[in-house]
Amino acid sequence: MKKPIVIALLVPMVFMLMNCGGKPKAKMNNIPEWYLNPPKAEDAIYEAGDAAKQSMGLAKEAADARARDAISRTIEVKVSNMLKNFMQESGIGEDAEALEFTSSVSKQVSNNVLRGARIVKREMKTEGSMYHAYSLAEYNLNSLIQETLNEAKKQKALYNEAKANLSFEDLEKEIQKLEAVGQ
Amino acid sequence: MKRIFVQTILAFTFEVCFSQTVIPEWFENLPQAPPGTMYSVGYSGKYVNHSLARETAIAVATKNMVKQIKSRLAFEIEELSDGRFRLLNPSFRLSYEKDIYVNIVDKCVIADSAITDNGYFVLLAYPDIQHHISGNLKKWGNKPAWTEKLPFNKEYNYGVGIVSNYSSWVRAWKDADEYARFVLGKNFETEARSIHTSKRDNKFIVESNILRQSYDKEFSNTIVISRWYDRENDTYYSLCRQAKKFNK
Repeated sequence: MKKPIVIALLVPMVFMLMNCGGKPKAKMNNIPEWYLNPPKAEDAIYEAGDAAKQSMGLAKEAADARARDAISRTIEVKVSNMLKNFMQESGIGEDAEALEFTSSVSKQVSNNVLRGARIVKREMKTEGSMYHAYSLAEYNLNSLIQETLNEAKKQKALYNEAKANLSFEDLEKEIQKLEAVGQ
Repeated sequence: MKRIFVQTILAFTFEVCFSQTVIPEWFENLPQAPPGTMYSVGYSGKYVNHSLARETAIAVATKNMVKQIKSRLAFEIEELSDGRFRLLNPSFRLSYEKDIYVNIVDKCVIADSAITDNGYFVLLAYPDIQHHISGNLKKWGNKPAWTEKLPFNKEYNYGVGIVSNYSSWVRAWKDADEYARFVLGKNFETEARSIHTSKRDNKFIVESNILRQSYDKEFSNTIVISRWYDRENDTYYSLCRQAKKFNK
């Protein structure tokens, strides 16, 4: 009679002990290769994101959002590098101006809309009661280059317009007019 | 009592094991519509009354047709985390024009319909077509490549919707179709902003993130062209496609 009671007590305890140790971790061989080593290409940026949630839908949404966010942050660095070439070609070179120009353009590009940032690969794994989603986002550099150039040209036009409106010659003329009125 | 219990278990097992085993061909892969025409699929679960099932399936197909033709999608996701907690708040809003709906109800025609053990399926054509389609019933095919890797084509945008563990297959397909449409929108254009900070003290590094991504845009010609059901994992996949010429 005692034996079944002992077994009845032991079985739940074994299960409880098995469940100790927090959330189950993803097995290394279950993690997609492209998550650990995102592909590299000359004409595209790849970034991976992952999320573990109780709901599959939420896991997918979070993983996608994190992959896109990683793309967005990578863009700022890429844009700064791209702008160095642009500035050399268009003759904007003085340090203070260049710094402001670069930060302004890169902010505009990266804070604006990501056009064509696609989730190209996705894998869903189960870890205990959790869903673990892995997403790989791809952003075509051609669209980034085009967007950066457009923004840089826009900024340069604004800069030149402002410079033209506030030239020293105009200022001198205005002062001369004022002096003439005063005499 | 025992008999009722056994019958219930058997019915449940049958429902689980044989859910969505047979479907019309055009439910899995939507056929190419003749120029100037569009197809949409509608479905309903088991009904005692067939005409009621048919009515429900037609209503679903009509709404799907409106969404395909033109719908406004607004998506937003926010994620906040400060090392102690993590909040995720996605929101999806879809709206369509009443006039288009009324027009479809007026001019659409049923190109084909099918009854299976699980429900009623309808293929709707808009506007009216001369010839009708006769789609055979079939079992789900092998896992398509698009469930793991997004297709690439210079002329089309794509989005894949995935849902799992739904008690109703009708709800599951409705959500998978909607998610596919929203994912297509995200792939096309998303506004992404985020702030990442990292504070370090003697013992710990606390990382805080605020992430916000959103879009609000009108899309036309977003068509769910393929579906696939993974019986092993009870997961539903929908593939939505849009010709790029409709979104410049």
